Amino acid sequence: MASNQQASKTEGTVHEPAPILQQMGIFGCVLFVSSLLSPLFPKSFPVPTPVIGLVLMYVLLASHIIKLYQVEKMADFLISLIAFLFVPSGVQMANSLNVFTDDGALTGVMLIVTIILATIILLVVIAYTTAAFMAVSRKVFHKSTDIQ
Amino acid sequence: MTWVTFFGNALDPKVGGIAFFGIFLSLVVFLIGQYLFKISNGFFLFQPLFVGMVLGIFILWLMSKWFGVSLPTFYQAAYKPGGDILFWFLNPATIAFAIPLYRRNDVVKKFWLEIVLSLIVGMVISLFIIYYVSKGLGLNNKIISSMLPQAATTAIAMPISGAIGGVPAVTAMACIINAVLIYALADFLIKIFRLNSDPVGAGLGLGTAGHTVGSAKAVQLGSIQGAMASIAVVVISIVVDIVVPPFAHMMGLF
Repeated sequence: MASNQQASKTEGTVHEPAPILQQMGIFGCVLFVSSLLSPLFPKSFPVPTPVIGLVLMYVLLASHIIKLYQVEKMADFLISLIAFLFVPSGVQMANSLNVFTDDGALTGVMLIVTIILATIILLVVIAYTTAAFMAVSRKVFHKSTDIQ
Repeated sequence: MTWVTFFGNALDPKVGGIAFFGIFLSLVVFLIGQYLFKISNGFFLFQPLFVGMVLGIFILWLMSKWFGVSLPTFYQAAYKPGGDILFWFLNPATIAFAIPLYRRNDVVKKFWLEIVLSLIVGMVISLFIIYYVSKGLGLNNKIISSMLPQAATTAIAMPISGAIGGVPAVTAMACIINAVLIYALADFLIKIFRLNSDPVGAGLGLGTAGHTVGSAKAVQLGSIQGAMASIAVVVISIVVDIVVPPFAHMMGLF
């Protein structure tokens, strides 16, 4: 987290974090507005509430309507909790363990193998594709790709 | 009130509101996971999330055997009310990723085109590989369709899966396993595939493969990785929305 603190200092003026209730209030507002926007998207192009909320929060930050010190503490806290908050999703599999046995045990094993492979494929292919595009930017367009 | 009558009440669908058990069980199994992870010096199979999931299901299974009901019934009655409360907090937690993203707005501004192109092209390549791998492993079209949208967040992946002839429950399960796996294996995978040299690529990959949990992992690795994983969660969901249905159509899956 040291790098994050460093990043927030480069923002310029260092503020005291806003009171936690105020931070919750901002999250609550963004969540509520996003939940109103989410049903406006067509069924064939679903965009769930939290995804709209993420974009909305980013836009509010980028347009300086909300300052980092007003949401930072709450955000860091929530992100540090993510792994725990995901436990119910994991346990939820108790509800549908039958998908592994429905088409026979062999299909079930193959399904698990495919999901494991797909996870690794997504990670590696996206990372390598990005590296390739970065190399193109660097070598063809002579754009500096150094980042601190 | 004895334990049996307590859980007897919890099993009654009309009562159903005993949310404390779900929250309590989630906390206990996760804390056991954290303890195991600590005393095993970070052995990857003892990642708190993975331990919490396996142990949670195991305990529910034991209890359902003890009370003589099926595991799904017991899960619905005893665990789900509490689990849903914790689950709700994933909403604000997802929104929270706007903050690590904004902290590295410099990277976003400089590389937005590379980021979007990498995610689109990378997704299409991944779709082809996943399609042929599942075909090679002998899965039927229904399951292959369920495997394609798993890079998007669950709320997007499930309806798409249904629309292209897949089984939404299988897709949801894939999304969950993705997240748990990435959280447990990220360090190992980054090392063996040498993804460390390019923080932008590593971040985008973690956000795509591991959803919000992968992003939380990426935030731990560094501010650039965290920001890139956050943007990947949003952009890849939109990309899946657009790319997967035509791809499934092209492959004749539905």
